[in-house]
Amino acid sequence: MKTESTFKYVLRLSLTLLLITAVVAGLLAGVNAITKPRIEAAKAEKTTKALSAVIPDADTAKQLEQLPEGTQIVAAVYESDTAYAVQVTPGGFDNVITMMVGVSKEGKVLGISIISHTETAGLGAVAAAQNAKGEAFRSQFAGQGGDLAVTKDGGTIDALTGATITSRAVTAGVNAAVACVEKLG
Amino acid sequence: MAQMKYFYELTVSSSPHAHSPITTQTIMRDVLIALLPALAGSVYFFGLRALVVTMVSAAAAMFFEWAYRKMMKLDPTAYDLSAVVTGVLLAFVCPPTIPYWCIIVGDFFAIIVVKQLFGGIGQNFVNPALAGRAFMFSWPVLMSTWVKVGAEHAAGVFSTVDAVTAATPLAAMHQGQLPDASVMDMFLGNIGGSLGETSALLLLVGFAYLLVRKVITPRIPLAYIGTVAVIAFLFPQGNDRMTWMAAQLFSGGLFLGAIFMATDYVTSPVTKLGQVVFGIGCGVLTMLIRCFGGYNEGVSYAILVMNACVVLLDKIGRPVKFGAPKKEAARS
Amino acid sequence: MNFRKQFHEGLLTKNPVLVQLLGMCSVLAITTSLFNGLGMGLSVTVILICSNVLISALRRVIPSQIRIAAYIVIIAGFVTIVDLLLQAFVPALSESLGVFIPLIVVNCIILGRAEAFASKNGVLASAVDGLCQGIGYTVALCIMCIIREFLGAGTFGGGILNGGEGIRIIPEGIPAMQMVMPVGGFLTLGFVIAGSQWLMKRMERKQKEKEAAEV
Repeated sequence: MKTESTFKYVLRLSLTLLLITAVVAGLLAGVNAITKPRIEAAKAEKTTKALSAVIPDADTAKQLEQLPEGTQIVAAVYESDTAYAVQVTPGGFDNVITMMVGVSKEGKVLGISIISHTETAGLGAVAAAQNAKGEAFRSQFAGQGGDLAVTKDGGTIDALTGATITSRAVTAGVNAAVACVEKLG
Repeated sequence: MAQMKYFYELTVSSSPHAHSPITTQTIMRDVLIALLPALAGSVYFFGLRALVVTMVSAAAAMFFEWAYRKMMKLDPTAYDLSAVVTGVLLAFVCPPTIPYWCIIVGDFFAIIVVKQLFGGIGQNFVNPALAGRAFMFSWPVLMSTWVKVGAEHAAGVFSTVDAVTAATPLAAMHQGQLPDASVMDMFLGNIGGSLGETSALLLLVGFAYLLVRKVITPRIPLAYIGTVAVIAFLFPQGNDRMTWMAAQLFSGGLFLGAIFMATDYVTSPVTKLGQVVFGIGCGVLTMLIRCFGGYNEGVSYAILVMNACVVLLDKIGRPVKFGAPKKEAARS
Repeated sequence: MNFRKQFHEGLLTKNPVLVQLLGMCSVLAITTSLFNGLGMGLSVTVILICSNVLISALRRVIPSQIRIAAYIVIIAGFVTIVDLLLQAFVPALSESLGVFIPLIVVNCIILGRAEAFASKNGVLASAVDGLCQGIGYTVALCIMCIIREFLGAGTFGGGILNGGEGIRIIPEGIPAMQMVMPVGGFLTLGFVIAGSQWLMKRMERKQKEKEAAEV
């Protein structure tokens, strides 16, 4: 085997790796260019879907650029002609629950929809489930004002069986959303 | 010549030569007798269904043990009563309203998956009854529906619809508040909870019987209960120290776990020091789960976790071999 | 090249999941519905074939001192491509598998096959190896998915059949939820490995009996 100077040796290794990396990066740039519009369209569609679950005129909704001050768990606010949709992230049993709360301009809850969560299957996860129990739990919030609490804490919201913490978290999320809308005026 | 006559009657065999009349069956029989007061108490507190659930669970456990050994053409072990003890203990850590099919599935998991697949009695690495309970949390609502204490609130033998549900003292304590029940009620067992765990008094009667019969030593239960008492006393979370400590001791499954489950021969350490550390570990984990965990009660998971540590705990506190140099003894 | 032998190895005797025990993280985490299993299995298969082919083609170009870095760059490139394509065209699957698609980069199966096979064999053989190992991975995943979904959720074909709900076999409330929880993953993996070992032992015995009969 013929000997190679250290400089040449390092250069050869670096250049090979650089070449491979450059080709892969170029390839990724191409794929990204093709898929980007579709990914963004899918994301937008998802947001619209989440919005239309909680407010009636979701197609007119626009995201507010400025969040009102002092709203800790509010992630985003969308305003439509008749209502607000507030995305809140209260801390649940295991991790944060991401949910959308529709609030009319008068400060009444229109509906809630849970976008993502990691609650315990069979207990806390019922809050997001598309079945009778889940619907019954979520529909309790419609038409209510702020300052809600579960019955265990002296409020009016019936907690899910065996999932007081999740129920409290959802209630706290709704309260935060209503408080946020009140601040918006 | 007269002596030669006796010589012919000697049998030659290898060790062990000393036999003890104590067998698995006699030990398990003693454990079952020690559980009887608590069973009687549960019938008094939760109605006849408590007895039926326990019988169904014991029968199912024994059947699975017998059927597996038969199917695999292994030595039968169903009559050593160890499966019956598992079945009774599993029933004791379930709510009185538990459906029969559910507890039978729990027995299946405990006996077949946890015990027999690892080689049967003496080979399982965690307590079968507690592992069965953990698996039964597949049905979290069934496993956390508690009935109000008292025969008039009890669930019927065939239907549970009449049962009046109520939160257990542990639920309040999980929030850092003292329960409504008095300390005396908690000690006697006049509270909601799992079928056989509520009465500290009746479990202590069983404990005394096991100690008298020398089935268990008090090391693990004392270390376990003592650790819980000390932690509760040191951190009363703003409540009265003594009442808080009493509530932590008497309200949940601590006595049942400490006396009947943490002492399981197979899944607890053999050395004295190891047993004490095992008990302390159970106590610390129980209190950590009760105060910071997601569940109200931590006894079963504390014991399961410590079961998994037994292989390490067996390495500490080994007696030094007679005559062995100190260094070598430490290494072995 | 022996396609039959490679296929047999990938599917059974050198199955990446059941025998080599590689890529356990995704195996235990996502095998909760048939949709997840198929999606994950096919994604890994595609990436495995592509990376095997490319690495095999470049095996004389890549100096051995930097081979691991080069392999990881190539694998990460393919994983990102698949990730972007899934996000664009199958958003439901991308959401359901979440972080486990990007994590394929560190899935030992891919790097393992690159190092153990593709860097030493020709392009065609490497492609076949990628296909066979990928099928083995997919089949193992699907078996686990079917078992866990049936026992844990009571359905078959969740995510694909019956409008994504799956066909309900056991009524709601009865299935053992623990089977779709992490503990169920470990339990199921244990039983499936035991089953595959039993099958292999049986096949070996049959083979021996056949040989003995021929002699």
